[in-house]
Amino acid sequence: MSPRSGLQKDVMSLYRRALRMVRTKPAETRPKFALFVRYTFHHNAAVVSPRNFSFIEHQLRQGKKQLEMYENPSIKDCFLSTDMLKWAEDEHRSR
Amino acid sequence: MQSVARRLSSTASRRGFATTSAAFQAAPLEKPVLNKTFKIYRWNPDEPAKKPELQSYTIDLNQTGPMILDALIKIKNEMDPTLTFRRSCREGICGSCAMNIEGRNTLACLCRIDRNPAKESKIYPLPHMYIVKDLVPDLTYFYKQYKSIEPYLQNDNPPPQGEFLQSPEDRKKLDGMYECILCACCSTSCPSYWWNQDEYLGPATLMQAYRWLADSRDAAGAKRREKLQNEMSVFRCHTIFNCSRTCPKGLNPAAAIAKIKLELSAE
Repeated sequence: MSPRSGLQKDVMSLYRRALRMVRTKPAETRPKFALFVRYTFHHNAAVVSPRNFSFIEHQLRQGKKQLEMYENPSIKDCFLSTDMLKWAEDEHRSR
Repeated sequence: MQSVARRLSSTASRRGFATTSAAFQAAPLEKPVLNKTFKIYRWNPDEPAKKPELQSYTIDLNQTGPMILDALIKIKNEMDPTLTFRRSCREGICGSCAMNIEGRNTLACLCRIDRNPAKESKIYPLPHMYIVKDLVPDLTYFYKQYKSIEPYLQNDNPPPQGEFLQSPEDRKKLDGMYECILCACCSTSCPSYWWNQDEYLGPATLMQAYRWLADSRDAAGAKRREKLQNEMSVFRCHTIFNCSRTCPKGLNPAAAIAKIKLELSAE
């Protein structure tokens, strides 16, 4: 595998930071946050071509903004849409 | 008696509100159609494959208010509800509708429509900002910079009773600075800010920094100056004066920056 490009590294570090954010949340809602983060990354990665750098950069900026909000310790729960739950179920079944 | 009352009530019911028949009313003036084309920057994050483009809209100026914002609202209401822009007060006090109109950063609500139908009006978002959608720029970093200068009164020794008092002369020093509405027109017109957005604070933020330096009630002047005393924060201003020329409120950020520079270099 060729070494990762700068943009790929940025995306991975944002994903890592998001997963670290999940660990700071209370144990009861942690699975919800984890699913939220995983779904958001997979979903947003699927809608864009890997060559569309300017749009990936836009997504990175939006993601950073959103993550900064979720990192606030006063946020203890998050909402899961039916799409997210369905995606989780499908993934669980395919495994 | 009873019959009189009945007669009165029956006449009243016959005479409604519009008592003049249509033939005697003044005919409303028919204004001629004056079509003008607006070219507006469009970009939608929900369609990542599409590149940003200019979209044309032609509207009748005689059916529109006098300002660019009126035209935008008319287009959004009647032609294309997907057109996205910020607006709130429509009278130049909120600073939401800052955009680049005919190559000039200004507030859409304070900018008159050029009534020459032969010329197209081009409307872009504020230059060199990341775009959220259409005419909406991402001002997160701009607000973060504003927050970094601590734009509030800092004084640990409040007067024993009552409020801080200020002489009329001291109050006068704040005129021309406190009116800033943070629309970001000046900062985004500054080439120095374009190239060094991450470190240079930009005219809007610097003018607010000086607003607190100049306040006679504020006691944190030394700390504030200390923070600005470096190569990037203030001294990236090369007196280009785009900020003062573009300010839709007629303020002079360049003068405030010059005064900060004077204070910093006198230290």
